Amino acid sequence: MPIGDVAGRYSDLVTTVFSSTIVAKVWLATAALVLVAVQLVTAARIYGRLRFLPERGAVVARVHRWSGRAAFVLTLPVFFHCVTILGFRTPDARVAVHATVGTFFYGVFAAKVVIVRDRSLPGWALPTAGITLATMLLLLWLTSSLWYFTNVRVGF
Amino acid sequence: MGRGWRPILVGALVVAITFALAETHVFSPSAAPLPATAGDAARGATVFAGTCSGCHGTAGKGGGVGPRLAGAGLDAATVAATVEQGRGVMPAGLVSGQDEADVVAYVVSVSNSGG
Repeated sequence: MPIGDVAGRYSDLVTTVFSSTIVAKVWLATAALVLVAVQLVTAARIYGRLRFLPERGAVVARVHRWSGRAAFVLTLPVFFHCVTILGFRTPDARVAVHATVGTFFYGVFAAKVVIVRDRSLPGWALPTAGITLATMLLLLWLTSSLWYFTNVRVGF
Repeated sequence: MGRGWRPILVGALVVAITFALAETHVFSPSAAPLPATAGDAARGATVFAGTCSGCHGTAGKGGGVGPRLAGAGLDAATVAATVEQGRGVMPAGLVSGQDEADVVAYVVSVSNSGG
């Protein structure tokens, strides 16, 4: 398949569900942000905070793990379109912030995965990585989805 | 070097790969330009109303943050390039595929209709 066709095939696939590839990214990022909010709440519970929530334990840990996995999967089409089709651009402050934070996003994600699996690291490393990642996703959402909802339209 | 550096090294490697992919635009469709005659302007009017009129106004007559398109005398290649690459605050790829072809046909028709 010629390289130019990949973008076309991707667009054809995405537009079977959404009206455009941009709209798909807007909603996938929004869903990922909701799941990251679940991640923050369950992580806080695991660390003994938010005591009004159900008892911490296997269920909370499972919800935390699967919400993270789902959020990661939802960001993959966004990554594919932003990075491999649109590329790094800085035409204005909003796009420059979005492109810069987006470039570092999966790097911080990869670092967090390493931290999760390495129990020899200090206890503050994991929550720091998690909060950084959540903050980055919020910044990415504010500079893309929120911008789209407020400047273009809210729709599928 | 201690194990504490592993997350930073792995993260830096992923950032470098991401940036390299972003800089090379590996799957950018610019190598396969849109045929100027492939669009349906009537259908493009519907797509335009839903996606573009918020910034370019009804029928491209302006009034939003985007420029007036009606009567601007644009050609299909320019419109397609702007849709695909974006310009100013307009993000790239707002529409794509057949929707893009239809919108391009519509914008070309209104921009050459005397406004």
